[in-house]
Amino acid sequence: MSVRINPNEAPDLLAAIAMNREAQNTALQQISTGQSVNQLSDNPSAAAQVVLNHVQTSQDTQYLNNISALTAQGQTIDATLNSTVQAVNQAIGLGVEGANGTLSNADRQDIASQLIGIRNQVLGLANTTYQGSYVFAGTATSTQPFVLDATQPDGVKYNGNASVNSTQIAPGLTIPINMPGSQIFTNPSGDVMGALNGLITALQSNTGIAAANTNLSTAFSQLNTQRVFYGNTLAQMQSSKTLLNTKQIQLATQANSLVGVDLSTSITNLEQAGVATNAILSATSQILSTLNLLSYLK
Amino acid sequence: MGSLFGTLSIALGALQADRGSIEVTSNNIANVNTAGYSREQVNLSENPPVQVGNLLFGTGVSLGQTTSVRSNLLEVQLDQANTSSGQLNSFLGAMNQVQTLFNETAGSGLQTPLSAFYDSLTQLTADPTNSAYRQGVVTAGQNLATAFQQDSSNLKTLQSNTDLSVVQSFTQINQLTQQIAGLNVQISNQVSLGQDAGSFQDQRTQLVRQLSGLVGISETQAGNGSLTIATTSGAALVDGSQSFALTTQINPNTTYHDVYSNGTDITSNITGGSLGGQIQARDQAIPGVLNQLDTLAYNIETAVNTQSKAGFDAKGNAGVNFFTQPTSAPSAASTIAVAISDPNLVAASSDGSVGSSGNAQALANLQNQANVSGQTPYNYYSNMVFQIGNQVSQAKNEQTAVGLVQQQLTDQRGAISGVNLDEEAVKLIQFQSAYQASANVVNVINTLLTATINMSVAG
Repeated sequence: MSVRINPNEAPDLLAAIAMNREAQNTALQQISTGQSVNQLSDNPSAAAQVVLNHVQTSQDTQYLNNISALTAQGQTIDATLNSTVQAVNQAIGLGVEGANGTLSNADRQDIASQLIGIRNQVLGLANTTYQGSYVFAGTATSTQPFVLDATQPDGVKYNGNASVNSTQIAPGLTIPINMPGSQIFTNPSGDVMGALNGLITALQSNTGIAAANTNLSTAFSQLNTQRVFYGNTLAQMQSSKTLLNTKQIQLATQANSLVGVDLSTSITNLEQAGVATNAILSATSQILSTLNLLSYLK
Repeated sequence: MGSLFGTLSIALGALQADRGSIEVTSNNIANVNTAGYSREQVNLSENPPVQVGNLLFGTGVSLGQTTSVRSNLLEVQLDQANTSSGQLNSFLGAMNQVQTLFNETAGSGLQTPLSAFYDSLTQLTADPTNSAYRQGVVTAGQNLATAFQQDSSNLKTLQSNTDLSVVQSFTQINQLTQQIAGLNVQISNQVSLGQDAGSFQDQRTQLVRQLSGLVGISETQAGNGSLTIATTSGAALVDGSQSFALTTQINPNTTYHDVYSNGTDITSNITGGSLGGQIQARDQAIPGVLNQLDTLAYNIETAVNTQSKAGFDAKGNAGVNFFTQPTSAPSAASTIAVAISDPNLVAASSDGSVGSSGNAQALANLQNQANVSGQTPYNYYSNMVFQIGNQVSQAKNEQTAVGLVQQQLTDQRGAISGVNLDEEAVKLIQFQSAYQASANVVNVINTLLTATINMSVAG
């Protein structure tokens, strides 16, 4: 006696059709969204990694935005310091000229007047603002940092503070983004404002001009030393920018490898599922329309 | 040697047996597509012979009770598979919605508002005096709070909807157990009369199948044809003619319905079936996600507030709470809100000077610090996303496996109990031929009787 098999094939056929339809839908969804992972359960691990990938992408984009803003500010400051260097350099030339013993008192007064103009120019540069904030005031950016004050030994009062802002410009990289003005313009190791005022006083009184010139040269050296800070900051930001741009590409590639679709595979899957669906539909139609013995009874 | 009338009687019995057999075959054919129908078999038995002198003569055929062909073991296995399937379907019904809420692969979820909030703080470090940047922090904080609130609200709505499904399932269970108890009576009556209760058993099997889809059950045959049914944890549902209705009560702590059997709360013991899946989603899976959401919100709020108070606002005043500080983690996600509306109150400064961004940087650094259950906020959230996806993925895999088992069991059941039209056609031909033969026998006997009567008249 033959083994009895399930005479009702319909549920199995329907299940097979449903399975192939689902495979078609999956392939179609992958092609239309461009993603192989369209819901968390498709690949929980990849979905979790995508969260962190998007976080890093977002963070890096923000770092790049900050670098862009801080670079513009840094370039303004660097240009300001460049102007300051030129002004002080000009003052040094005038100081050398004023030290010439053949000059008349009137000539020295004339040079002193020119130096006052340069001192005022440097003072203005030391009080430079960027988008409404004083850039050489430390973190007291709403206060004008330098004012002439005859009561001060160097003739200038610093109203800013000595604080420095440090900002993260890349994962794990935090750099100081400002230098207090006192460190640049009234540094005890080379006081630009004090040296300019000292030279003016020396020329006006015709005493100690050589010493005042020496002080100004020392201050000039100090100014150039401090200026390197902003140069380094700009270089670091440029370097980070390059790094972050490369990383953005890597992150996009990683995101694509995590959830992106391999179009050729998906299209092949779609084709295969289509062929399989057609085959099972054809088979179902044939099986269910097959005549049974009852059809032959007369 | 038998009489002509005896032979006629044998033919008549055969006609009756064949007609009955054709009826059974016809019934099988009629029910070829009836769900749960078990094919019936004809039981023909040879009548006891009679002895005439020293000779034995057969007395024909009798139609015995028909027998439904079924395997009780397979039916129980199908019920068990149905229980698993019901549980997974209802669990996935709820959890698919949960995973949609946090579908980061499609841009839904908390990553975007979370990143936007911390990024706004990073932006503020570039220029703490920039009022647009300050406003950006407040707006990003509000957006983050709204995202938390919406997710929390959606999860609670889903929980309430699942609770409604629990009530509906329990109502269906009570209806089914009542009907099964009624069928138990009819089946045991039939059995006590020695009759086949096949059609009632088919009905009961179908109802038990439905019941098994609603809740995990254990079935015991009582011997008289009736079935004793309890939940897998032992709460009685049907015992002979008696059904035991489940009841529900609203739990004042959860505000959701608990299920009671004879006054005992059996909610946490219910496993399997759609009721089990609904309870699993309502009482375990969704609260688990809510709990993680609350923990994340609470720890972000606490860390940001603590750091805010360590800094100074734009006017040099000591920092205040950025978020409204919750007292504890539960419900933190549903109550989170930004406490300040004035952007100048964002505590970006670390020393009170307006241009200081030290505290803004410290606030931004919170995103990379392990301040949420020993993990960074992003890692914690990423794990949460993984766990949701993994729960759904596992359930889907189980669903596929159970589906295959169900398909296999259904095939096995069909092989035993299903109606095969070819087989029935052959039987129809057999019984038709037998009927025609018996009818011919009657004709022959009739001819013989007529001849005999005519012979007597002639004599």
